[in-house]
Amino acid sequence: MQELRRIGSNRRLILGLVLILLVNGFLFVREQRVQDYGLNMELPNASMVLLGDTFTTVQEPVDPGAAYQRYLNWLDRVRGLSLPDAASMLEREKTDLAAKFAGDTDTEEDHLDYVAVQTLQAQIQYLAGYGDRLANIQRNKENLLTFSLFNDTDSFAGRNIIKTAEEFEALQGVALTLGAGGAVDALLTFPLSDYCLLLVLLGTVLSFLEERKAGLWSVVHASPRGRLRLAVRRTAILFSVSVCGVLLLHGTDLALGFSLYGGAQDLHRAVQSVEALGMLPVRTTVTGFLGQYFLLRIAAAFFVGLLLWLLLAAVHNVKYTVLVAAGVLAIEYSLYTFLPVQSAFNVLKYFNLFSYISLSALYTNYLNIDLFGYPVGIRNIAETALVPLCLLLASLCLTVQCRKKPAAGRDLLGRAAYRFNGITDWVLCRLPLMGMELHKTLWIQKGIVITALLAYGVSHLSYTANIPLFSSVEEAERQYTATLAGPITEDTFAEMDAIQDQLDQVLQDYEDAKTAYADGQLSDAAYNLQTYNASAARTQSEGLAAVRSRCVDLQMLGAQHGFTPWLLDETPFLSVYGSRAQVNQQQAALLALLALTLLLAGSMACERQSGMTTLLRSTAQGRGTLLRRKFLLTVLATTFVWGTVFGTELYTLLSHFSISGWGAPARNLSMLEEFPLNCSLSVWLALLYGYRWLSLLCCGVLALLLSSCFQRMETACIGTGIVLLLPSLLYAYLGVQVLRPLAVLLPVQTMPLLLDHNGAVSEAVTWTAALLGLSAACSVWRLVGEGLPRSLSETA
Amino acid sequence: MKLELINLTKRYGNFTALDHVNITFTEGITGILGANGAGKSTMMNLLTDNIPRTEGQILFDGTDILKLGRDFRSVLGYMPQQQGYYEHLTAQTFLSYMADLKAIPKKQAREEIEKLLEITNLSDVRHKKLGGYSGGMRQRVLLAQALLGDPKVVILDEPTAGLDPKERIRIRNFISSLSRGRIILLATHIVSDIESISDQILMMKHGHVVGVDTPWNLTDSVAEKVKELPCAPEELKAIQAQYKVGNVFQRQGQTWVRVVGDELPTGGQYVPDHLTLEDVYLYYLGE
Repeated sequence: MQELRRIGSNRRLILGLVLILLVNGFLFVREQRVQDYGLNMELPNASMVLLGDTFTTVQEPVDPGAAYQRYLNWLDRVRGLSLPDAASMLEREKTDLAAKFAGDTDTEEDHLDYVAVQTLQAQIQYLAGYGDRLANIQRNKENLLTFSLFNDTDSFAGRNIIKTAEEFEALQGVALTLGAGGAVDALLTFPLSDYCLLLVLLGTVLSFLEERKAGLWSVVHASPRGRLRLAVRRTAILFSVSVCGVLLLHGTDLALGFSLYGGAQDLHRAVQSVEALGMLPVRTTVTGFLGQYFLLRIAAAFFVGLLLWLLLAAVHNVKYTVLVAAGVLAIEYSLYTFLPVQSAFNVLKYFNLFSYISLSALYTNYLNIDLFGYPVGIRNIAETALVPLCLLLASLCLTVQCRKKPAAGRDLLGRAAYRFNGITDWVLCRLPLMGMELHKTLWIQKGIVITALLAYGVSHLSYTANIPLFSSVEEAERQYTATLAGPITEDTFAEMDAIQDQLDQVLQDYEDAKTAYADGQLSDAAYNLQTYNASAARTQSEGLAAVRSRCVDLQMLGAQHGFTPWLLDETPFLSVYGSRAQVNQQQAALLALLALTLLLAGSMACERQSGMTTLLRSTAQGRGTLLRRKFLLTVLATTFVWGTVFGTELYTLLSHFSISGWGAPARNLSMLEEFPLNCSLSVWLALLYGYRWLSLLCCGVLALLLSSCFQRMETACIGTGIVLLLPSLLYAYLGVQVLRPLAVLLPVQTMPLLLDHNGAVSEAVTWTAALLGLSAACSVWRLVGEGLPRSLSETA
Repeated sequence: MKLELINLTKRYGNFTALDHVNITFTEGITGILGANGAGKSTMMNLLTDNIPRTEGQILFDGTDILKLGRDFRSVLGYMPQQQGYYEHLTAQTFLSYMADLKAIPKKQAREEIEKLLEITNLSDVRHKKLGGYSGGMRQRVLLAQALLGDPKVVILDEPTAGLDPKERIRIRNFISSLSRGRIILLATHIVSDIESISDQILMMKHGHVVGVDTPWNLTDSVAEKVKELPCAPEELKAIQAQYKVGNVFQRQGQTWVRVVGDELPTGGQYVPDHLTLEDVYLYYLGE
């Protein structure tokens, strides 16, 4: 109990667990939204357009949440029907809906129905075809065994064919039924929980080794209950953590899945009714599968925990434990991910730590591997080996805990590490104070990890949004805008007139053709061609009229505000900075804020945590100079984060779109008509990115100064996160409007302040003043607190 | 060169940690003795401007150290009682970093670091990370950083704590060799450390200075205050309750006690030739 209490009172561990649970739950829900709740969202009027340099499917947006509700409604309507009846009912409905789309009379409700119906149809198609699929496996067996390559039933290939057929034969006659299987699907296809569980287990195992770090190993080892009894208790604790970890992480996923996907009412169905589990050759219900899955998950987690414990406990020097853990995990992950299925060493792929971490793959894939010429299912290997392995590892862990002598270890890596340190010392001793501050941020405060995570995060950000085209007229308008792009002059109108003349000519030709056709002087094919051309010309004419109208508007606006009207293709700017890209920008800004917070929050707290504050303050440069270096570091960190996050955004804009007219006044863009300055697009971009940099810098300065209020780096990160991130998160994701004045996300994102026309500029100015004022006030307060610079003190 | 404390007072709420202390430190080693809570560390923190003073002045060559600011800190070498260090840095990098903070030119810093690593016997482990050092080794690194930059004022709070006798003697002798042309303030519980090397000893109790003098004058001052007498084991408790008892030892099969105070028991013998600073400590500072 004391050991449990010791681990339970480890604030870092508990805090980490809570954080992991929250992040896991949040990302699970988000992932379901991103995946559109497993719905097929494609509408019949979707079209492929060239957006920038790439073809993109564009269609009117459909709310996936509402579509899923509609799916559940439709599911209730067809639930009682036989599969053929349900299929024909849905087909009728789909035909009706398709007619509405064709007649351009479709409504938003129709879109929801269409998505729901076609998703259900796909589900029914799978269920109806499952019997054929099973029969196919049996037919394949007969066919394949007739080939000379496979007909040796004493070879792996022959045995594999027979085994596969036998296992799936057991499923003959299984009755698959329609139901909502999204929760189980989501549970099986959300790998983050598996890795979160790994983190929890690693944290627990590391807490077992704390006695070594604290220099208490000898004391514990010499005490009467410090060996076997302690080891047994730790084994029990590891098992309890495995149970709780699985129930909390995967249980939360399942519970959230049930709440998102319409409850747990379809659990009595055959497990193969869930498409992801179609290749599981076991006769059971979804409930039975979930029970088995969770039990195996717990056992697998226990196994992984024991393996980590054994590895880390076997390493004598506690300094290298994390290194060893990282090395082993990296090797195992590489084997699991990169080793081809056909490889002769594929046993290492499936008899692998990550097979037990990513357990879902064992149930969603059917695969036999060659084990001494005999086909053995990867699931069977994992399941059969699990209990003996757990027992073996537990006994090994107990042995290591009892037999490993605290004072007997040889530091094998010590000499190499000493030599390596000699090299790094040579470099570090030549660094100026600023370089050492950078080194402390990157290595002592683990900034290097945050940098890597930032790079990973940025690589997963999307910077462009689809700008849908709702009609061919809009498409024509966009094309003409691109063609006529440039300053709006008399020539522009003349060019439009010329194009209009050409289009009129096409229409006139059509009128002539119509007469000729009526007189029988024109063939059907030629008349059809004229009809098609005329239709296209009408559309283009409408598009051109829209462009002309825009030109006139811009001329008036230009005259009113004193800028040169310029016709611009707005698509690139709308795609990257427009209202449809706000979610992208929100995520980018949040990532930038998070990275900056984590990079700088430990900066001052690290000095307190290491007990260096009094020592630093007693040195000549340990006050004002050091603080100024930390400010400089803040500028560097801000610039790095800004460059990484927003530089990638700018790069995306420049690399995806060929933009002409950088000198065009920014107010020519419809989204910037209210922008208060008459400046060119390039200047506007410079202002936008400059403003973002400044906002981030102010946040960085605040993070740095908030850091000085905390004793430890972890609490500093949490505290700074609460001040700088929480209001933004609550405002952005939960819509808590009252927190808008505290959401620093807005000035970092900047565009919402410019796109919102209601007093937007004044809000931007207010934000600037507030952030600059606050960070400057805090900086002055700190600088005075640390002692004035010598020049000032001499003046005083 | 002198460091003057004038009416120096520090209060934490209602608690007075240092009460109107007046003293002048001159060149040489001043040992500071006092029980826990006597105000030694508070005085050190005030001298290094790590806590704000409530009242009084600290003058270095006639100018307040707050006014001198960085100029004072550039002649200051400080080794705090609590071990502060970056466990991920090696001794060499740590000293180099501290040299940077002390604004010592790189070349000079390299030479000084080399010398100090030799003196503190850390040359062979200079590339080992501080996290892997024993307490005594860390203590030596901290002492080395305090001595970087040839400081004129050296403040050492428990510099020899955790060191083995050989290292203690080595460090003690080194500190002694530095005393010319420097003000060295050395606070310690290990009386023998300052007994042989201090030019003067400052005794503190409850935030007050109870005495300042040379070690030999202080030991002379207790010549008639220390007695050794045999004592039956059953009487030991009563004697301890009545008198300030120093050593209790065995001699020729009998238990003896060393008693310090103005009023001493009859019997026994004075020991004028074997007086130590421990007797002084017990006489002036013992409860």
